[in-house]
Amino acid sequence: MKANSTYKVPQGKLLKISLEYNENKELIDKISIMGDFFAYPEESIELLEKELKNVSLNENILSKKIQSIIQKYDIQFIGLDCEGLVKGIMMCLK
Amino acid sequence: MKEQWRLLNTGHNNAFVNMALDNAILSANREGKVPPTVRFYGWTPSAISIGYFQSLNEEVDIEQCKNFGVDYVRRITGGGAVFHEKEVTYSIVVPESHPSMPKNILKSYSRICGAIIKGLDKLDIKSKYVPINDIIANGKKISGNAQTRKENTVLQHGTIITDVDVEKMFSLLKVSNEKIKDKLIEDVKQRVTSIKHVIGKEPLFDDVANALKVGFEEEFDVDLVKGEITEFEKKLAKSYEYARFSKEEWNFRR
Repeated sequence: MKANSTYKVPQGKLLKISLEYNENKELIDKISIMGDFFAYPEESIELLEKELKNVSLNENILSKKIQSIIQKYDIQFIGLDCEGLVKGIMMCLK
Repeated sequence: MKEQWRLLNTGHNNAFVNMALDNAILSANREGKVPPTVRFYGWTPSAISIGYFQSLNEEVDIEQCKNFGVDYVRRITGGGAVFHEKEVTYSIVVPESHPSMPKNILKSYSRICGAIIKGLDKLDIKSKYVPINDIIANGKKISGNAQTRKENTVLQHGTIITDVDVEKMFSLLKVSNEKIKDKLIEDVKQRVTSIKHVIGKEPLFDDVANALKVGFEEEFDVDLVKGEITEFEKKLAKSYEYARFSKEEWNFRR
């Protein structure tokens, strides 16, 4: 399955998610995290996208996973946060 | 004696050269080969730059760009799509460890934008910084800015709008909902201004650059000394231009 979402992060920027997922197992197959936000270092967004492959599309699991990746790569977002990312991804399923 | 930084006025270049030069200055400063640098430049032909995280196909009408002869390029900085036509663009490259540069990224946006605000003040334009990355005059955006940090070196570049053609801009940018395009155009007209709009005439590029120069000198308490791009930077810029910024793989990577 393929789906897209556009989500305006409160007090932040416009997040655009492009998602490919396995409907039966509800796992992320491929994700692109796009938008006019800032992330430091910039290249970490590609690492984040890679690490989200095969992660469950369950709000809690997704949130914990994203938080752990943010810590692992010491990612600093401006105009975006973990909560916004989870919201944007979950919106793809609606 | 005040600390001396390098001042570059590279005039108008195409989008790939412009982004390659900023990247080359960043790399050269990181390697300790050039001092902190403030650069002023313009864009010929007109161009759209998109933020590092944006999708070119999603944001830009490529066919329309080709029709109008407008370049498009992905920046190494985040942020949004910008139509560069009538504007003065600046970049500043400074080591992260410089005492004038706040470690906190938002604070450093505010600090660098302080130089732009002081510069605009020289043109009798009162403006203020609005987080995350805008400067507004009379409540409307007059400058957008974007920053990256690579290996302990800060690069921030931004645009000071001298005049704006919102209709042309929207003919080149894609909107998520075509049905409300007219309303979006009206919204942006209400939210974006230019030096021409504020002071009643389109300023000369060099007049704006000179005012901004003084703004940077005052904000950072330095002397900006006119300099040149070094041979090292020229070579580096060529390689960035050909291997990165003019490449489809880079520009369409997201």
